[in-house]
Amino acid sequence: MKYILLMSGTKAGVEGYHAWPKQDIEAHMAVLHRINKDLTESGEFVATQGLTGPGEAKVVRGEKNGVPVTDGIFPESKEFLLGYWIVEVPNAERAYAIAGRISAASLNMPIEVRQFAIH
Amino acid sequence: MKYILMMTGKKSDFEGYARWSKEDLQANVAFMRAFSKELKDSGVFVSTEGLGWPSEAKLVRAGKNGEPITDGVFPESKEFLAGYWIIDVESPEQAYKIAARASQAPGAGGNLANMPIEVRPVLSGHADLGL
Repeated sequence: MKYILLMSGTKAGVEGYHAWPKQDIEAHMAVLHRINKDLTESGEFVATQGLTGPGEAKVVRGEKNGVPVTDGIFPESKEFLLGYWIVEVPNAERAYAIAGRISAASLNMPIEVRQFAIH
Repeated sequence: MKYILMMTGKKSDFEGYARWSKEDLQANVAFMRAFSKELKDSGVFVSTEGLGWPSEAKLVRAGKNGEPITDGVFPESKEFLAGYWIIDVESPEQAYKIAARASQAPGAGGNLANMPIEVRPVLSGHADLGL
């Protein structure tokens, strides 16, 4: 079963992260790389992707004629997706265990775990 | 440049979608299939996924010993990711144009859904973070 593990945060949270000392960010990245490596070796890795910061986010709607209308103003409380991992695991418990490991490596941030829709 | 186009909604939006008439749901799904095909045919398609329902979502934190602690209670206002597309395009304008097309998926009663689509560049490496 495929699960997606979503890491999200507010604009303030992202700004706080960017203010971390360089060695702390490097140590955090090293643990995340290690988790990716472990998932690859166990055959559970499907994909991972980090997103750029909230400063570059836009919300787009289409007008009747298809013209895109963009908006870059978001409420302070908005949770932005920071990045995700897609894993293929035998059950939900294993997905939660991996999410727990990512959370432990990342200031105990909550990781949202969702199954993929079956088409 | 790779961009992610995200469709999100509150639990109540998902419940509303589940109550759409069969024809409206079919029209929406047909649009989504045609949209993915267009992206593939134009060579910008990277990936797409639809997610399971918010009722199956869990929030996970690590306990003291690293064991996962799960929580399934979310505020009503929480925006859940419903699905996404990743595209590889030449400019943000092209990404916005494609997002506008996704926003025009048919909604309930034959009206346009006019859903907001969040567009973000994805990181190609940690260098993008300025590290």
